[in-house]
Amino acid sequence: MPRKILIIDDEDDIREVAALSLESIAGWDVVTASSGAQGLARAIEHQPDAILLDVMMPGMDGPTTFRELRKNPATDKIPVLLLTAKVQNSDQRRFADLGVESVLFKPFDPLTLAEQISDVLGWK
Amino acid sequence: MKPTAQSGGAVASNATATPDLATALDQLWARFLPEIRQRVNILQGAAVACTGNQLSTEQRTAAHAAAHKLAGTLGTFNLAHGSDLARQFELVFGSEESPSAELSRNLADLAGELSSVIESRKTSALGTVHSLAPPPK
Repeated sequence: MPRKILIIDDEDDIREVAALSLESIAGWDVVTASSGAQGLARAIEHQPDAILLDVMMPGMDGPTTFRELRKNPATDKIPVLLLTAKVQNSDQRRFADLGVESVLFKPFDPLTLAEQISDVLGWK
Repeated sequence: MKPTAQSGGAVASNATATPDLATALDQLWARFLPEIRQRVNILQGAAVACTGNQLSTEQRTAAHAAAHKLAGTLGTFNLAHGSDLARQFELVFGSEESPSAELSRNLADLAGELSSVIESRKTSALGTVHSLAPPPK
């Protein structure tokens, strides 16, 4: 059975390129959400194998969404990888302290995104 | 937290790469190009305002957001230099300090360069995706 990934990102272009990449390169099933709130609902409904979560979103941002995912027994075990265009060291430390599996950086390479996720999660 | 791979060669073992990926990415690029151009226009407007020392807070905020989005997006479409240029705008407009006169002039040039990078993107820039298919056995 293919892996299932939930992508939560408010930017349509990033969300669609990531989905295309993971579906085409890795053959994974992809579910998408355009906001933190929608992402929480989709995570509960679809029980993905991992979540790719954007940091900067209007309303509920990535870190807040992550904390909400961890509070809910239905989603607290799902691995979360943050996706961010922020590259400052202080941001990286802050994200590491959250307890996410890893941080992936934008821009990502559509040809290797699935491999990065697999490496982090030990899916090989 | 586990480190991420910085680059990769082979794809996941269950790869089912299709030769249509490059074409699909080109189609996404074409679909999102108007939005990308709009973001560049915001940067160009902000750069012009800077040279006249007339950058408003709203304009700075909009330019910072546009630069952040471009920095995250362009490299994904194989325009790494575009992301680098956008990152420079993000740093400038993310700062509370007003850009100097010299920096303001540079911003106008950078905006022009960014626009050129975007308009010169070739379709099927990721044409090498064909090589990702597993070798014939």
